Amino acid sequence: MSDTPRRGADAPEIPNQDSSLAVDSPRRTSIAGTRRQFLAGAAAVGAAGAIGFPAIHVKAATTGQVKFGLLEDQSGNFALFGLPKLHATQLAIKEINDGFTLLSGPTGPGGTGKDGAYTELVDVLVQSNDKGILGREVKLISPDPQSDPRMYQQLTKRLGLQDEVDVIMGAFASANREAMRPVIDQMKKMYWYNNQYEGGVADKYTFCTGAVAEQQIIPAMQYCIAKFGKRIYIPAADYNFGQLSAMWTRAMAPLLGGEVVGQEFIPLSVTDFTSTIARIEQAKPDWLMMYITGQNHANFYPQANAAGLKRPMGSSINLAQGYEHKRFAPPALAGMNVAVSYMEEIPTPRNQAFVKRFRAMFPDEPYIQQEAHSAYVATHLYAVACRLAKTTDQNAVMEALESGIGIEAPAGWMFMDPATHHMSQHIRMASCDEKHNITFVQEWPSIEPWWTRRLGVNLVRTPEFKQYTPADDPAFKKFL
Amino acid sequence: MAGDLFNLAYQFLVNVSFLMLAAMGLIIVLGMLNIINLAHGEFIMMGAYTATLSVHAGVPFVVAVVLATIVVGMIGAIVELLIVRRFYANKLNALVATFGLSLILSQGTLLLFGPYLRGVSMPLGGFRVGQFSYATYLLVVAGLAFVLIFALWLLFYRTRLGVDMRATMQNPDMARALGVNTSRIYTFSFALGAALAGLTGALYAPTTTIVPLFGTAFIAPAFITVVIGGGANPLIGALASSSLLSVVSTPLSSQYGTFAGRIGLMLAALVIMRFLPDGLSYYLQAALLRRRKARPESSR
Amino acid sequence: MSSPDHAVVSTGRLAQSPHNVFQRLGIDGPLTIFGGPIYWSLFALILIAVVLFPLYGSTFAALNFTNFLINAPVALGLALLWGYCGVLSFGQVAFFGIAGYAYGVMAINWGLGLGTLLAAAGALGLTSLVAAAFGYFLFYGRVSSWIIPVLTLVLTLVLETFLGQTAGLEWRIGQAQLGGFNGMTNIPSLTLGSLTFNGYSLPLFYLVVALIAVILIGLRVLANSHFGHVVMAIQEDAERTELLGYDIRRYQLVVFTIAGFLAGLSGVLYATWGNFIQPSSVGLLAATLPVLWVAIGGRRSLSSVLIGTIALSALSDALAVYSGDLAFVVMGALLLFGMMAAPDGIVITILRSLAKLLVRRPL
Repeated sequence: MSDTPRRGADAPEIPNQDSSLAVDSPRRTSIAGTRRQFLAGAAAVGAAGAIGFPAIHVKAATTGQVKFGLLEDQSGNFALFGLPKLHATQLAIKEINDGFTLLSGPTGPGGTGKDGAYTELVDVLVQSNDKGILGREVKLISPDPQSDPRMYQQLTKRLGLQDEVDVIMGAFASANREAMRPVIDQMKKMYWYNNQYEGGVADKYTFCTGAVAEQQIIPAMQYCIAKFGKRIYIPAADYNFGQLSAMWTRAMAPLLGGEVVGQEFIPLSVTDFTSTIARIEQAKPDWLMMYITGQNHANFYPQANAAGLKRPMGSSINLAQGYEHKRFAPPALAGMNVAVSYMEEIPTPRNQAFVKRFRAMFPDEPYIQQEAHSAYVATHLYAVACRLAKTTDQNAVMEALESGIGIEAPAGWMFMDPATHHMSQHIRMASCDEKHNITFVQEWPSIEPWWTRRLGVNLVRTPEFKQYTPADDPAFKKFL
Repeated sequence: MAGDLFNLAYQFLVNVSFLMLAAMGLIIVLGMLNIINLAHGEFIMMGAYTATLSVHAGVPFVVAVVLATIVVGMIGAIVELLIVRRFYANKLNALVATFGLSLILSQGTLLLFGPYLRGVSMPLGGFRVGQFSYATYLLVVAGLAFVLIFALWLLFYRTRLGVDMRATMQNPDMARALGVNTSRIYTFSFALGAALAGLTGALYAPTTTIVPLFGTAFIAPAFITVVIGGGANPLIGALASSSLLSVVSTPLSSQYGTFAGRIGLMLAALVIMRFLPDGLSYYLQAALLRRRKARPESSR
Repeated sequence: MSSPDHAVVSTGRLAQSPHNVFQRLGIDGPLTIFGGPIYWSLFALILIAVVLFPLYGSTFAALNFTNFLINAPVALGLALLWGYCGVLSFGQVAFFGIAGYAYGVMAINWGLGLGTLLAAAGALGLTSLVAAAFGYFLFYGRVSSWIIPVLTLVLTLVLETFLGQTAGLEWRIGQAQLGGFNGMTNIPSLTLGSLTFNGYSLPLFYLVVALIAVILIGLRVLANSHFGHVVMAIQEDAERTELLGYDIRRYQLVVFTIAGFLAGLSGVLYATWGNFIQPSSVGLLAATLPVLWVAIGGRRSLSSVLIGTIALSALSDALAVYSGDLAFVVMGALLLFGMMAAPDGIVITILRSLAKLLVRRPL
């Protein structure tokens, strides 16, 4: 079996962790030298302790390296998803340090319309006329949170207070993101969440580059109802993502001409799906909307396949995120249709160029998944925003991000919405056949993250620090 | 109606065989050595990895399963010789040590083989009864589980080795005094437990994705089954315990969803452990012995 | 069961009047392995150094250290339960989780200030009740001792399974959403007047240090008391103790409840530190951690366990930062070889050797 896919032959000298910066705080001196302070400070201790220390406001440095903090799981349950994201970030940082950037601006460059038809640009990785960001090299600091929420909290504090990074990115599971967000908000640090998720985060300091429910669930349902029929059965993981996605599906079904004939919530620890398969057959749906997730739930596909459960499946999370079509032997995933914001198989020339660059740096990478793409885009977008703001000072960069900018990602043009801090996505419908080949059967070049806008979120006007759920949306109740 | 009954029966068989296979190795180690092996999940994982790698190398699936069983059994023997036997005087420390071992094995697998291996397809397709369709392979695995129990029974009760093993389990000092090489019996027992774990991993490899944390799905159910079954008589224990637990969880899971089934399983486990603290096998064995004593002419 | 530690008991020391001031106070005695003037001088020195740490160290380091210290109460409780009473429980994290969630629910509903104090008290009270109930189930049911580890593990897993599926919106108590696997978020920190005990400022650091000092001394007094002697006797030979007329079930129950209370204390401290609690803190991996800390520390000595817990937590943190994917391998190797080389516990073995060097009479 091939070596673990971590660094390719051309990997640059960007280390995984920056030990020199993490250990010594400039304020710490040796114990012997401060014996006088030691003794003299005894009386002051009580007072100091009683007052406490206010939240640390970190001023951005204007010289030296740009410190880029990344928390992606390199071990534990989510290593499967964290490692590609780490590599994508490393690739982007290398490109930035080598003087490259992605084309960006307030609107897309407009493509090269031929015969009245829009054709997107191919060469979007261009010279930045900059070495690193504003002449400063970008240094990646990426400790391993081990898929553990408490570790995420601890390391977020370390990145913010000890390493004093200029930006923090990372987290895969919503649980880990929600563990980080209170820490981020307390430290008033900018944070990027580069993962698809259930949507609803409205946080002044958080920027999300992954797709959300309205960008994936609705197109998937639209395609599947048109192609397979209106009767839908929803097997969902009994987990926040599964619950919320099922809620979205139930709410959107009437609007799209579908009918939910059954749903069930399956605990994450379940590995045997015999009873689920039986219930599905009883309900006789036209297609299944799959929201199952996690290692144990992956058992569903071979079991359903062997049991002869031949129903088409729709999803918002399979294939692109977990690359099941590579991990499972065919034809387990046959008939799966997913609305994706990115897949390695996207045939456009610009994506193939990106894939080539990625695999040149990481030849053993099993798959370039959707979230790796989000991480790559986020890193470049951060550099773009810093150059626009002409500083890495966080408040200025956040204003730049809220000024209305977009970027030419490998998947297509993506725009950062100032009000919601989420990005528009170029969505494609990927269909998997018996041989596990992927074809893209439908495309929506730009779907906006409109849902939190409907709730009145405008982070430019009114800062907020929460996550909304469908329960907060009166429109859902109308249709649920 | 008949279709529904078959459905329940199928689910019951699948559940029972899963619990039996997951727990069998653990029970033998517990019964013989009185040690709880926290690396059991990793042995299962190694069985899955061995089988998967063999299949990808072109080996037929059946041979791959046998190979996995043997390989993991040998690894178990090595682990016993190098590590486990130092803890016979200190059983609880074995728990900590095997936990350390499990961390090394799972993370080591991640480092060596990456976050996943390409899977193996489930052979044998499916069949229909009434309005439901079923995977044939799971039924085959269920059958194999019962064959396995029978094979182990043969080992324990019809071979010289089995007699030696039972003697060592009941009274090691006496066995040693009578010339049984208890040290080798211990090694063999641990290796057998590991081999059974490897077999389990190999058998369930086609049903799921092959990742370093493959074993975690088996650990909790295995422990519950083991504790309810008890170490007094591994075979009876495994059989009785998995059957009882499945009887509780299958109808719950069928009617109210898999969560209810899981909770039911765990609550049943708690109740049984409270009222039958020495394990089912202890009481069943005692009952059997009483029956046998009432028939003086049978010799065993 | 290393008899040199307890040979002192059989010499009838209890009957004689205590020798020194420490024994008179009850904080030293035959059942606490390390003691004496050197120990207490070191204790005082370390305490002072820790209390003054924020002056010479970075605030971040102190806050980071707080996270390690939060693990101490649950470890000390298990050390009491396992080292002194001989009962190995894998379920301490269940009480950690119950207290954390209870504090979260109560604090979110009762608001800041006095509400959080009531929440802390309520959470601790509830946890102690649950621990007592479960202890009753265990000890008055005469469950055999080898089953208790797995039984308590099952309790923990049931709790984790239950908490993990509370994602739906119907799972709310008052204003507090249980949150399923995403956990319960926005838990207010403990506040007392103008002091906020959270993970961003020092009051929590001082609170935890003070609590640990009190707990350590308190447990030592308990261990050296008549109660503690009976508990140790139960571990050494339960039947004999019963024959001598003691109701061992009562003693085991009390110890189990104390251990549960301490685990709950860790849970409340964690919730106020991170403003967040999730089902994974009650999971399989979390359940093994206290056992590891106590085993590596050396369950017969409270001080060793304290040192071991802090050291292992710090090691885990450092490994995550500096060696990423090797963290688990290093930790696993430490456990494996630690148990082979020092079966009584690594820290306690080191401390014993040091003690032999420093003190003329054998400990």
